[in-house]
Amino acid sequence: MSEDKLPVKNESDIISVRSFGRNLAANAGFGIVDQCRITTAISELARNAVVHGGGGSVTIKTIQNDKKGIEIIFRDEGPGIVNLELALKGGYSTVGGLGIGLSGAKRLMDEFQITSSAGKGTTVIIRKWLK
Amino acid sequence: MEIPILKIEDFLIVSFQTELSDDEIDKLREDILDKIKETNARGLIIDITALKIVDSFMARSLSSIATTATLLGAKTVVVGMQPAVALTLVELGLRIKWNIQTALNLERGINLLREALKSEKDVVYE
Amino acid sequence: MTEKEEFVEELSGLLEDNATELKKQWVKEMTEMGLLEKLSSLEIEQQSTAIYDTCVLTIKTGMYEAAKKYAREMAKKGVLEAMTVDQIIMGMLKLRDVYGRFIFYKYQKDVEKLYKVLGVYEPVANRILSIVALAFVEEREMKITDQQQAMLTLSTPVLQIRDQILVLPLIGTIDSARAAQIVEQLLNSIVDTQASVVIIDITGVPIIDTAVANHLIKTIQAAKMLGADTIITGISPANAQTLVTLGVDLSMMTTRGSLRSGVKLADEMLKLVVMEKR
Repeated sequence: MSEDKLPVKNESDIISVRSFGRNLAANAGFGIVDQCRITTAISELARNAVVHGGGGSVTIKTIQNDKKGIEIIFRDEGPGIVNLELALKGGYSTVGGLGIGLSGAKRLMDEFQITSSAGKGTTVIIRKWLK
Repeated sequence: MEIPILKIEDFLIVSFQTELSDDEIDKLREDILDKIKETNARGLIIDITALKIVDSFMARSLSSIATTATLLGAKTVVVGMQPAVALTLVELGLRIKWNIQTALNLERGINLLREALKSEKDVVYE
Repeated sequence: MTEKEEFVEELSGLLEDNATELKKQWVKEMTEMGLLEKLSSLEIEQQSTAIYDTCVLTIKTGMYEAAKKYAREMAKKGVLEAMTVDQIIMGMLKLRDVYGRFIFYKYQKDVEKLYKVLGVYEPVANRILSIVALAFVEEREMKITDQQQAMLTLSTPVLQIRDQILVLPLIGTIDSARAAQIVEQLLNSIVDTQASVVIIDITGVPIIDTAVANHLIKTIQAAKMLGADTIITGISPANAQTLVTLGVDLSMMTTRGSLRSGVKLADEMLKLVVMEKR
């Protein structure tokens, strides 16, 4: 079990958290493609936290119950997502992006939980299990 | 950091060697477009063999570089994408937005551009 | 010592004392039924002794671990090769009969005691039988899981038929796990061989549903991103109809009826000409 809370404040943090995530995923035994999926999901959510959440933090750790996996928790105290349903649908963006950050991250991982309320920020938990 | 933009024949070649931050990508886009104007390049090859990850921001940047470069007269080819990256991009949901010409490696990319330019010349000069 | 415990001790004592005779009777009855035809006399002696002793031990202690362990070993070792599951269960039923008849014979004069001894004996005998049956079922299930895994890893071959052309013949049902594995393997092969055209032949895929179609589309898109074009061949009329009915968008698929015409198209795309040698 390893756990680290890393800041996600600016663009250079995006690169460092995703390389941290990739290393952890590789050490946990994930294959090349899954490493890529996990790193990409981290990148999408980290960018969301920086661009929309006004910066936040991320916890990346390996988890183990009856199966082994990786868990990533993003927290920010930004404005929150007003229309969560729409944001999850994909193709929706408030800053002229591709609008696939959230929905894309969801598709790349095995589990995806999001809680967000206007004015109180957003928490996203994603997990992927070793097959 | 400075990323070299090389010129061969009528083409420009840009090779991504490390992961770039969003700012660096934006800067690189400017550099590439300037260089196309400056050299009157007819083609642009972006080599991403070394990239282990292409997220939606990077994909969007590549796409916009390709579109703008084409507008400036340089046909763009992205070469060397890793299998894991391609699969991840498809799963990310980029199926509609990705409309960039691709080739397996630098050599194929150059051949592709040569072919395209040759047929153009045929029409214009004969 | 409770009355029940007394009965247990008495019964197991009786079974131990009369082991030779009862075992002989059991083996004789099994032989008559033709259950032991494929076993050598040494095997019969060893196996019957081991099973007999295990059963007596189980009756005596009321602990089923030994029986479980033995049943599992028996199932795993594949006594199966010489005896079918049916034969083994019949054999165990016979042993129960032999014990049962012996108990009747011993206590026939005292019906009340007979009733109580049977009350001790029957649950144990039934439990042993269910343990044996279960061990074989579990062994079977494990084998099935192993085979499924093996079939998955047996994987689909990616064949390089020309310098730049790959053929991927898909055969059998495709589920998500297999589809994921196929996609990864194909993309890696494209990069390894630097192939620019891939032909996926689905003649051998019985049912194409939306899930399979989506996997195909995903494969085509990912291959395209690498710089390779994909041709799908061998879609049966029935499958084609299903896909249209399901509303799958086939506009981005290049298809050909047969693998042969697919290869022809690939040659054309690469400007290859195949000529007869003069």
